[in-house]
Amino acid sequence: MQRAVPYRRVMLGLAAALVAAFLIGVAVGAVWVSPRTTIELIAWKLGLTGRPDDVSRAAEVIVFQLRLPRVLLAAIVGGALAASGAVFQGLFRNPLADPAIIGVSSGAALGAVLVIVTVGAASLGAFAVPLAAFAGAMATAFVVYRLARIGPAVHVATLLLAGIAIAAVISSFMSLVMSYSGEEIRDIYAWLLGGLVAQGWRSVEIVLPVVAVGVAGAWLVAHELNLISLGEERAAQLGVELDRLKRTSIAVGALLAAAAVSVAGVIGFVGLMTPHLLRLVIGSDHRRLMPASVLGGATLLILADLVARTIVAPSELPVGVVTALLGGPFFIYLLRREGKKAGARV
Amino acid sequence: MSEPALVLERVSATYGREPVLREVDLAVAPGEIVGLVGPNGSGKTTLVRVASGTLRPTSGRLRVGGRDLIGMPAREAARLVAVVPQDVVPAFSFTALELVLMGRSPYRSRWGGGSPEDWARVRAAMAATQVQHLADRPVDELSGGERRRVVLAQALAQDAPVLMLDEPTTHLDVRHVLDLLSIVRRLAERERTAVLAIHHDLNLAASTCDRLVALHRGEVVASGSPGSVVTPALLREVYGVEAEVSTDHATGYPSVRIGVPVEPAAPLGRRAHVVGGAGRGAPILRRLAEAGFDVSVGVLHGSDTDANVAERLNLVRVSVPPFSDIDAEAESVCRHLMREADLLVVCDAPFGPGNAANLRLALEATRAGVRTIVLEQIPIEERDFTGGEATVTWAELRSHSTVVRSYEELALVLG
Repeated sequence: MQRAVPYRRVMLGLAAALVAAFLIGVAVGAVWVSPRTTIELIAWKLGLTGRPDDVSRAAEVIVFQLRLPRVLLAAIVGGALAASGAVFQGLFRNPLADPAIIGVSSGAALGAVLVIVTVGAASLGAFAVPLAAFAGAMATAFVVYRLARIGPAVHVATLLLAGIAIAAVISSFMSLVMSYSGEEIRDIYAWLLGGLVAQGWRSVEIVLPVVAVGVAGAWLVAHELNLISLGEERAAQLGVELDRLKRTSIAVGALLAAAAVSVAGVIGFVGLMTPHLLRLVIGSDHRRLMPASVLGGATLLILADLVARTIVAPSELPVGVVTALLGGPFFIYLLRREGKKAGARV
Repeated sequence: MSEPALVLERVSATYGREPVLREVDLAVAPGEIVGLVGPNGSGKTTLVRVASGTLRPTSGRLRVGGRDLIGMPAREAARLVAVVPQDVVPAFSFTALELVLMGRSPYRSRWGGGSPEDWARVRAAMAATQVQHLADRPVDELSGGERRRVVLAQALAQDAPVLMLDEPTTHLDVRHVLDLLSIVRRLAERERTAVLAIHHDLNLAASTCDRLVALHRGEVVASGSPGSVVTPALLREVYGVEAEVSTDHATGYPSVRIGVPVEPAAPLGRRAHVVGGAGRGAPILRRLAEAGFDVSVGVLHGSDTDANVAERLNLVRVSVPPFSDIDAEAESVCRHLMREADLLVVCDAPFGPGNAANLRLALEATRAGVRTIVLEQIPIEERDFTGGEATVTWAELRSHSTVVRSYEELALVLG
């Protein structure tokens, strides 16, 4: 497999794709807002130009109150999931690892479900559920990490198994909770399937700094993730402090996934697919893969959300359903094609 | 000798509670290649892990270039010690160039694309191992030999004063083995790199290292020149094998020939005597010993292969010094052994004045009723150096004996 496409060109392409997805995402909906209008409105808000004359007040409200925060949130969540996936795939030396692997998703779900059944989705302000989900995700990641830690060493295989075991325990507990719940079941399902419905600017404001910290952390471990893909022993021989790298990577990956899950629910395949796909194009260097994954994941989720809210309009599909429905078959196609080309490398 | 580059003093290490290294002392000087030998589980790999700083010893001192390696940050240690692992199979697809560049990571910042020195080192390492032409190829598409050279280049790019090789030649063709070891030799000579290499192949170790250190159950049991370490006694103690060590005529290095250890069947309580010479008896000695016979052999000359084999098999042997005639005492001992034997096997050895007495003794025993088998793969005429006497005795002997034409046939006759 020769890498025909240079890194710079791929990054330019990804950035262009993200901008295009962003403009389309803002444009499409019950009311069409042309990309030109969007650009003019944003330029005006940023103080670059005066208010465009021919834009209605309604369009302004639609762009700034509804579409823009939603598209931005999709971008942030998608980027976070993809970066988290890249971190976990690197750490576990396995292209099939995804952010759910250390129990983050199930932990988040448990937190969310508990809040929904005890106090209700809408009470305590809109942020009780995301906060509980975030707390649940981080707590689960920490428990899994502690289970896999023997002495100073963290065993990656144990980490995987502990993640699976904890996720199984949590999901059975969740089933139990849900079977005793009444009308909250709709809220629970809505959350579990993932969605970016009516989040507003507050979600963006809260999640953006967390994700920014996480992405910076992911970039920080990128070089060492390259080394660990040669095996732990070799990485240590080349100067990697293994235990520190594992701690940092797990913290960063969990933080990114938890931030994403807390506002958008469980969204599958973005974290798994994006890094995998990009690796085929730009190679495995995590220092390139990490920023590329952020751009790619953002684009992907904007488009998935676009499909989710338009395909059965005026009603909406959960975005998790869209990523799984489109991502699953595409991923299988990719695996088959790769498998034919390179034997059983994946 | 210059100040050693790598020094281990009374280093011990454990896995869990299991002690793996016990009070190991070892020093490697700049420019010196030290080979580490020993059977599986003797602690060789553990020693390399400890000496490279990736496994912390439980006690002892460990210094590289005068600096204490224990507790040193991994990044700093990687500038002092480079390891060439047995193999590296990356989980993801990297190009050869990317892989070699990773060897510079102990020097690089997280972000930088590599300083001019990094690139110079990478180019030099790839040139030394002749992998420049593979730079843009994904490592997972390279052949085993190519990949190993790329990994060697990665370690060379670390530019460390100490280089360790963990069985660098396993699974390599003989051509690649020689190339790889000559690269290492050049490195030792030109860069004064101190090299510690684990070797499975004793002959390779003896011929490519300046000094050998033998490990057994985590302890150093021998250390010194290859000739002083690779001895039959050491091979018996450490590897549990019987082996013949000779000096290779072409190279002057010690050369090892491993024998399959004899596992005798239950003693039969029967005696067999073999008349051999020139190595013709060796396969028979082994077969009889394995079948449980109480085997004696003779009369042989001291330097004969049959005598060496008999010594290794720990058999009763009657021998006289090389090039001397069979003396009266040897003759009477042998006559006794033959008469008392349940089975006498006479091999198709060359017979000359020095050993023709063997044939006469065998004929006497056969006439006295000892069951005799004669091996006749080579006709007597081709190996009679007595001027006809041996041919006459041989003809008489074979007329009273079972004659076999090959070792296989002999095995059939013995059942």
